[in-house]
Amino acid sequence: MAAAVALLLVLVGAPLAMLAAQSVFIDGRLSLEAYAEVIGRSLYYQALLNTLIVGGGSAALAVLFGTPLAWAVARTDLPLRGVVRTVTTAAFVAPPFLLAVAWVILAAPNTGALNRLVTTIFGTERGPFNAYTLTTLTVVTALHTFPTVFLLAAAALESSDSSLEHAARLLGAGRWRTTLRITLPLVLPSILTGAILAFVTAIALFGSQAILGIPGRVYTLSTRVYQVLGYPPDYGVASALSMALVLLTVAALALQRRALGRRDVATIGGRGLASERIALGRWRAPALALCAGFLFVAVVLPYAALGAVSLTRAWTAGLVGANITLDNYAAILFRLELTQRAIGNSLLLATLTASATIALGVVIATIDLRTALRGRRLLDYLALMPLGLPGIVVGVAILELWLRLPINIYGTLLILLLAYTTRFIPLAVRAANVAIGQVDRSLEDAARIGGAGRWATQRRVTLPLVRSALLAGWVLVFVPTLGELSASVLLFTPDTITLAVAIFNFQDNGKVELVSALGVVLLVLASAVVLGARRIAGRPVLEMASAPPPA
Amino acid sequence: MGTLRLESLSLRYPGRDAAAVHDVDLEIADGEFVALVGPSGCGKSTTLRLIAGFLRPDAGRILVDGVVLSDRNRVVPPERRNMGMVFQSFAVWPHMTVFGNVAFGLAQRRLPASEVRARVRAMLEMVDIAGLEHVYPGQLSGGQLQRVALARSLVVEPRTLLLDEPLSSLDAKLRERMCGELKALQRRTGVTFVHVTHDQAEALAVADRVAVMHAGRIEQFATPREVYLRPASRVVADTMGAVNLIAARVVSAGGTSADVRVLGDPGLILRVTASAALATGSEALVAVRPEDVAITSVGPGVEGLVAEATFRGTFAEHIVTVGTERVRAHTLGHDLVEAGRAVKVSIDGARCILLPPL
Repeated sequence: MAAAVALLLVLVGAPLAMLAAQSVFIDGRLSLEAYAEVIGRSLYYQALLNTLIVGGGSAALAVLFGTPLAWAVARTDLPLRGVVRTVTTAAFVAPPFLLAVAWVILAAPNTGALNRLVTTIFGTERGPFNAYTLTTLTVVTALHTFPTVFLLAAAALESSDSSLEHAARLLGAGRWRTTLRITLPLVLPSILTGAILAFVTAIALFGSQAILGIPGRVYTLSTRVYQVLGYPPDYGVASALSMALVLLTVAALALQRRALGRRDVATIGGRGLASERIALGRWRAPALALCAGFLFVAVVLPYAALGAVSLTRAWTAGLVGANITLDNYAAILFRLELTQRAIGNSLLLATLTASATIALGVVIATIDLRTALRGRRLLDYLALMPLGLPGIVVGVAILELWLRLPINIYGTLLILLLAYTTRFIPLAVRAANVAIGQVDRSLEDAARIGGAGRWATQRRVTLPLVRSALLAGWVLVFVPTLGELSASVLLFTPDTITLAVAIFNFQDNGKVELVSALGVVLLVLASAVVLGARRIAGRPVLEMASAPPPA
Repeated sequence: MGTLRLESLSLRYPGRDAAAVHDVDLEIADGEFVALVGPSGCGKSTTLRLIAGFLRPDAGRILVDGVVLSDRNRVVPPERRNMGMVFQSFAVWPHMTVFGNVAFGLAQRRLPASEVRARVRAMLEMVDIAGLEHVYPGQLSGGQLQRVALARSLVVEPRTLLLDEPLSSLDAKLRERMCGELKALQRRTGVTFVHVTHDQAEALAVADRVAVMHAGRIEQFATPREVYLRPASRVVADTMGAVNLIAARVVSAGGTSADVRVLGDPGLILRVTASAALATGSEALVAVRPEDVAITSVGPGVEGLVAEATFRGTFAEHIVTVGTERVRAHTLGHDLVEAGRAVKVSIDGARCILLPPL
């Protein structure tokens, strides 16, 4: 217990304390100068405004996209519902910045594939799309976050007690009226939760904001943090900006708590009859076309573009004849030492992070669920705190803490491992809590009284029973770690470069073909792990989580 | 094997005001079948978990044959107590076969494989599930799971078997059958059984002695006949089945018996045994089971009116109003008296218990 608390204090408590301290101490004295600068300068004020627009706008769009889709999948006789769900869930595997890269390929001014398509067809001078605007950033962000709303809404719609609807029908309400007056209000808390999670995820998406925002001079809080940490670094302002991001996140999560406090989400988890599906009748085909069209634009088109570009010599020349090549893959896998190192580092770090966080998660969950030790709530609270920390903030906090300490780990893989562990410990703790919570305690008691000690009981009864759930948790940590960008971008060195950072830097240098190939490699690796885990666990692992991994 | 003793055992869960178990003394003889019975929250399951070693007492001790297993400083862990336990959920491990479940304790004791096999087989035969060795629990019925749980706990030849509401997840018919089987199994193995249940009928049916618990305390520890027929307190009378508590006034007292007046004036005069000397004129309560209240159309007794009558099959239940009192009376099912009929109510004083007033 004491060891677990100490570890969490090092991982979570100390960096946060350091961040807060850095924001109020300038040259060793207490000062609010950093905050005054952040509030006083219009460029930071503009960044805050942009962050709110991206967060709020994309959350609204995510509800707009996710809710009808969820309703169609969960409550209607839409054809190919399973495929719609799988495609939506599959989007989780991809790190969000790849989506941004894809939309650069599709919608960059002049060179973007869609723009070229329009100019070719209509013979106009310029295409209508511009990847580097606040609007595009908001829409692309929503395309990453809508699965959150979708999954929460679909789960609520599926589990809602149909007797509540039957009661309305018997009292004379028609199908549509029942849907609007009974069904939707019942799942509203879940949609709201989805919207807030989408907001929190959105404001933390450093990668998309940098890739789509910076070229068009659209700055957000996280890209400003990145910028002020360039040479010469201003840790005071970076900390104050980070604190602003943390406050936004915490405020949003508090809002969610308050909203949910008044409505009981659990009431819809009844075990009524299976909800009946609404027959779409002649609307079936149009509804399917709409869903398919949306998913095509949201998921298929961007990754297809990425895949296509990865096979070209010069991406603007298109996927034709002599322009087609496998050389990009040869380069990143066999020739370029940097990318080989990045892939190796990311695989190693993702494996270590997933293993370490799950191990720690099991310890914390066991203490929480199986002991009466005092302070176990604190442990839980500490472990979940990073949920409110955007990746770049974790990066800043870890950087500031370890630059101050006499132990020099900056520039090593260890500092990245620490940052990742801090970021993703909440996912692991939640997964472990669910896993261990579903093991009835008497199963363990039976082993104890049957002659097995604590360890033998864990080894022979508990662990075998939670193995697949823990594996799912492991994957849930592994996948986002493999594509982690926002903390890594502040902590990497050429020796410790990671996949995501390599992609980010190549993108910055305009090497779109290499970026695409690396992106495809990243997707393949992540998918392979997800599918492998699915084979071992015997069931889909990603759907065992209701929220997407953070960026 | 040996005598199990609980001495002044107390436990309070953190954050709760009342103690879950308060100053409990209990001595269970070797090979005895004891039931702990009481409403939920009375402390019976906590007592069982204390005996098993899952909980540490705040005060008091648990001893087996004079050896201390638990006190406030030291608890011999469950795995070293040589006890068995059957849980309400059965807690049969879903990832092991029936054989794996039953062999677990023997493997833990490092017995040679051939002996493990032989003993598991013999045990499965004893609980009547031979042949299911290689089946996984997911394919078993509730009754079969129950037998696996029993076999698993008994195969290690424990000195004590603890049963925590073992029958409450079974349907009524199976529950009745398992009651009989539990008793037979206990006789055959000679293991001390401590059986926790909220169902008084089950406690009466299986146990040699019944400990009635209420609010963390043991109210009475005696044979089934005694706790049912001679309850030591109102709580015991109430816990062990339906009971009438009728206001009474002592009209004459002397030695071991007293005459009391109930159900108005003149009402009925009952001669009841009295444990303590009672002053003439003082108030008391008479506890009497519904089956000891007779209702007849003619004959002796006080006038009453049947307010409700419910046919229950083997018996019929009546609520009879006598003045301001409502008296519950059972007859055989055949003899149901329709609601609205006037009846004579009579009570045999020898079947009554005199209790202090409310």
